[in-house]
Amino acid sequence: MDFDFTDDQEQLRDAVRKWVDKGYTFERRKNITKDGGFSRTAYAELADLGLAGLYIPEADGGLGMGPVEGMVVMEELGRGMVLEPMTHTLMAGTVLAGYAPDAPNLVKAAWLPKIASGERLVVLAHLERGARYGLTHCNATASSNTATAPDLWALSGTKSIVVAGDRVDAFIVPAMAGGRLALFLVEREAAGVTTTGYGTQDGARAAEVRFDNTPATLITKDGSIGLAHAIDIGIAATCAEGVGVMDKTMAVTVEYMNTRKQFGVAISSFQALRHRVADMKMQLELARSMSYYAALKLNAPAQERSAAMARAKYQLGVSMRFVGQQAVQLHGGIGVTDEYIVSHYFKKLTQLEMTFGDTLHHLGEVSARMQDTAGVFA
Amino acid sequence: MDLAFTPEEQTFREDIRAWVKTSLPKDIAHKVHNALRLSRDDHQRWAKILGKKGWLGHGWPKEFGGPGWNAIQKHLFEEECALAGAPRVIPFGPVMVAPVIMAFGNAEQQQRFLPGIASGEVWWSQGYSEPGSGSDLASVKCKAEKQDGKYIVNGQKTWTTLGQYGEWIFCLVRTSNEGKPQTGISFLLIDMTSRGITVRPIKLLDGESEVNEVWFDNVEVPIQNLIGEENKGWTYAKHLLSHERTNIADVNRAKRELERLKRIAKTKGVYDDPRFKDEIAKLEVDVVALEMLVLRVLSAAKSGKNSLDIAGLLKIRGSEIQQRYSELMMLAAGPFSLPLIEEAMEAGWQGDFPGGELSDAPLAGTYFNMRKTTIYGGSNEVQRNIVSQFVLG
Repeated sequence: MDFDFTDDQEQLRDAVRKWVDKGYTFERRKNITKDGGFSRTAYAELADLGLAGLYIPEADGGLGMGPVEGMVVMEELGRGMVLEPMTHTLMAGTVLAGYAPDAPNLVKAAWLPKIASGERLVVLAHLERGARYGLTHCNATASSNTATAPDLWALSGTKSIVVAGDRVDAFIVPAMAGGRLALFLVEREAAGVTTTGYGTQDGARAAEVRFDNTPATLITKDGSIGLAHAIDIGIAATCAEGVGVMDKTMAVTVEYMNTRKQFGVAISSFQALRHRVADMKMQLELARSMSYYAALKLNAPAQERSAAMARAKYQLGVSMRFVGQQAVQLHGGIGVTDEYIVSHYFKKLTQLEMTFGDTLHHLGEVSARMQDTAGVFA
Repeated sequence: MDLAFTPEEQTFREDIRAWVKTSLPKDIAHKVHNALRLSRDDHQRWAKILGKKGWLGHGWPKEFGGPGWNAIQKHLFEEECALAGAPRVIPFGPVMVAPVIMAFGNAEQQQRFLPGIASGEVWWSQGYSEPGSGSDLASVKCKAEKQDGKYIVNGQKTWTTLGQYGEWIFCLVRTSNEGKPQTGISFLLIDMTSRGITVRPIKLLDGESEVNEVWFDNVEVPIQNLIGEENKGWTYAKHLLSHERTNIADVNRAKRELERLKRIAKTKGVYDDPRFKDEIAKLEVDVVALEMLVLRVLSAAKSGKNSLDIAGLLKIRGSEIQQRYSELMMLAAGPFSLPLIEEAMEAGWQGDFPGGELSDAPLAGTYFNMRKTTIYGGSNEVQRNIVSQFVLG
C-alpha cells in the first residue's frame, strides 16, 4: 500500500505540465475552439511527448506504461483543459493491442505504431441514439459474405457524439455481427462514411457519423469484453482529468477570493465563503482519492474493475458538479462570463460528468453491484 | 503506487485477526455488533485482555513497552479489532495522556503512570472542556494555585466522557492569567478519589449518561503531578490532539456499521426498495472514499514523502458518515424504531419487542447519540475554519 509516485512518474508529470503551461495557454485553447474545437498540430505535440503511445506495448512502438502513468498524464491534461482526445487514444491502443484476436497481425502492425507516433488518431465510436450510457444497445450491423470473402466486412449504422469524429483517421466501432456485438476498425475516408461535425459544450468537437455499407476490418467477434475494458479506461482517465480540472478550478478560485474586495475587505475573509471553500477542498480530496482508486483497480479482473470504476465515477460526478458550481458562485458575476476562465472549467467539469456515465447512472451501477461487505479491498 | 498491502503486512493482518478471534469475548462482540449497551466491566475486560498482550498501548513505541508498530500496522490492528466487533479502546489513557507523559513527563511520572495505563488497570478521564468553553479550548478557567508545595484546584470540567468510571483525570488548568489565553495553562494529573471532587453524570438525549460534570473544590494535588513545565500545558495539549490523526475518521467502524446497515435493511424489507438502496449505495462510496483518504494519509506517514495534512477533512467526513449510517438504520426500521424500551438495549433481554425485531431497539438511540460526532473534538464548523485557513491562508 503505497501512494507515492516514482521519480519517472514525477518526470512524466513535469514534462506534460511544462507543455500545458507553455504550449497550451488559455489563448491557444480559445483559438482552437474558434477553429472547430480540435487541433491536429496540438495533438501532434502531445504525441511528440510520447503520450499517444502510453498504453501501447513497446514492441508496437509505444511506451508500454500503466494506469498510474495514464492518471498522471490525464491529470495534467485536465489542468490545461486540453481539447484533443487523449482518452480515446488510450482506449484505442488498449483495444487494438489487447482485444484484437480476429484482426490480422498486419492490421495491428500497421496501426499500433502509427497511433503511438500520433500519425494516426483513432477514437471509439460507440454511442447510439437511445443508448444513453448503456453498452449493449447497438443497432449498427456488419456482415460479410462467408462463402466468398469472409474477411471483407460491410458495416452500417449511425454513431453519435463521436469525439472529433470528422477530423480523426479511424474509428473503433461496435456493431452486431452474427448475433454478437463485434468490434471493427473503420477508416473515416472509407466509402459510405458521412460525418457531420459540431462543437461541444466544453469547446471541443464531436460528430454524428453514419456508415452505409462501409468496408470495415474485424477486430474481434466478441467485442463486449474489450468494449467494457475500453470504457473503464475511459472512466479512469476521465476521473484523473476531472481531478486536474478541479485542481486548477480551486487554484483560480482561491486566488480570486484573496484579491476581490467587497465592503472594503477581501472576500476570502467571509466565513460563509471560507466554509464553502473547505467543502470544495473536501470534494476535491475525495475525488483525488477515488481517482487513485480507479487507476489502481484498472488492471483488476473485469467484475472488480467495473465495480470500482462505478464507485469512482460516482464520486467524481458528485465532486465535479459541486466544485464547478461553487467556483462560479464564489466568483460572482465574472464567473458567468465567457471571457474569464472559470466558466470554462465549469463547463469542462459538467461535460466530464456526462462522459462515460453520469452520477445517477453510476450510482445505479454501485447499487446493483453491492455486496454484504464493502471497502477499498472488497 | 500500489493498492495492495505487502505480504508482510498481510501476514501481520492475519495474525491479528486470528488473535482477536480467539481473544475477544463473544458476549462483548455480540453487544458491539448489535449496538447493545456496554458496561464498565465490558470495557475493562477487553482493555485488560489487550493489556496482557501488550497491545492496549498499541501505538506506543518499544522503549515504553509498546509494540513499536508503524502507522500501517496500527491501522490494520484497529481495523481487525473493529471488524471483529471489539469495543473502541477508551482512548483517554493509552491514546491521549500516555503519549503526553512519554513526551513531556519525567522518568518518575513515566514509571508511576504508564504501567497502569498499559495494563488497563487504571481508568483515565479527560478534563479539557469547561462550561461555556465549547470548541474554544484555550478559554480554561479551572484554576490551580500553588500553596505549600501543592496545587489547590478550583473550578469545573464538563463533557467528561465516562468520567463516572474515572480513577484519574488529566486536566488543563489555569496557572496564570498573564499573556494570551494559551499561555498560563498547565497540564495536571489528578487522582479522582481526592477530597473535593464531585462527579455528576449528565443524562443525554438517548437516555444514557455518557458524559459528566466534574467539580473541583479546593482539591489538593501534589506538585509531582504537574506534567512538564508550568504554563506550558497548551503545547502538551496540542501534541495530544495531533496524535493519532487517522483514527478520528473511524473508517473501520464505518465499514462494520455499513455491513450492519445492509443486514438491517434486508430484515426490514427496504433493501430492495431502489430509493432506499441507492442511499446505502451512496454511503458505500462515501465509506470507500474515506478509506482511500485514510490510506493516503497512512502511506504518506510511512514514506515521509508528500505529508498530507488533512486531519480536519477526516474528522468532518468521518463524523458525517457516522451520523448517516445511524440515520439510515433508524429510517430502515421506520415506526419500529420509536418504542423506547430501555431493557431491550441490554444484552439478553427476553421480552417481545414491538414489531418483533429486537434489533430495532437501539436504532433511534444510536441516531440521537451520533449527533455528538459533528460537535465534539472541535465542531465541524471549527474544522472547516481550519481547512479553509490551510487552503486560503
